[in-house]
Amino acid sequence: MSWFKLNRSLHRDIGYFCIGMTLVFAISGIALNHIHQFNSNYQVTRTSHVIPLSGVDIETDDFETTLLTTLQVSDKIKARFWQDQATYKLFLEKDTTLYLYPQKNEVLVEQVKPRFLLRQLNFLHLNEARAAWMWFSDFYAVLLIYLAVSALFMVKGKRGVFGPRGFLVLAGFAAPAIFIFIYSS
Amino acid sequence: MKAVLTPIMMIGTLVFSQAALAKTYNGGADMSKITPISTLLSNAQRYTTESATIKGTVTRVCQKRGCWMQLASDKKFQTLRVKVRDGDMVFPMTAQGKTAFATGTLKVHPLTLEQTNQRRKAQNLDPVDTPQVLHLFTPVAVTIED
Repeated sequence: MSWFKLNRSLHRDIGYFCIGMTLVFAISGIALNHIHQFNSNYQVTRTSHVIPLSGVDIETDDFETTLLTTLQVSDKIKARFWQDQATYKLFLEKDTTLYLYPQKNEVLVEQVKPRFLLRQLNFLHLNEARAAWMWFSDFYAVLLIYLAVSALFMVKGKRGVFGPRGFLVLAGFAAPAIFIFIYSS
Repeated sequence: MKAVLTPIMMIGTLVFSQAALAKTYNGGADMSKITPISTLLSNAQRYTTESATIKGTVTRVCQKRGCWMQLASDKKFQTLRVKVRDGDMVFPMTAQGKTAFATGTLKVHPLTLEQTNQRRKAQNLDPVDTPQVLHLFTPVAVTIED
């Protein structure tokens, strides 16, 4: 087999292998770039309820039982905390927090749910899995370098990078160079 | 059939791996050094160099990047923020209400009067006339228990 055919075969097979990883990094890359506009890790829902609290001793078991019944919540309370003088928090199992505002007679129910798939993709992108994933990511990066370089030799002659399509390669280098020139000074 | 099953299996593995998310960071906190948060804050300078382990209910977590969490002190209305560089550790929002242990040191940041009162306003507290200091706990290892 000639080096040209070998290169094409390797480029194709490594390309197939890289599809999954590329999607993981590309999708989570977009999600993390825009995390200030859209929380891709968690879906946070808040619902407000008006419940008489002023003058009530909210640090009692009886009150908690009544409150959970009123809110039709079946979870147990696992922790309690005065966030500040006006906010009392009750932490429930299953990732629910109740914010009690006695002065405003208001109870805010906050539920936190990890987003399906996006949370897992971000988990990988931010290297929360640590060492093993880091080494695998390095391996993937090496494969990407191979894909980039081998792409230059996929087509022979003027129909390849030695023809007008070479400008596409130059454009790919020019784009990051322009950003560095404009924004790094 | 294989072409359909392979991506389904990959996604399934990824989703179910979430259940195995580690609740310890860097090997977990050193449980032999537990010091009450109130003690730490009353001797702040000492604990800027001396390592200690703090324990408290997680009351708030950074929603976007998981780069900080706030622990409740043993003293009413007192909290301490555990802060890491982005990516060093990622604290899950689902840690709220759980008990966290963090081993590390304290960092003391003096605030201006304006910054002090901005923070107090956000906490529904009355303004003060003298600037305060902000305490942040920098952990080297953390354990989060249910």
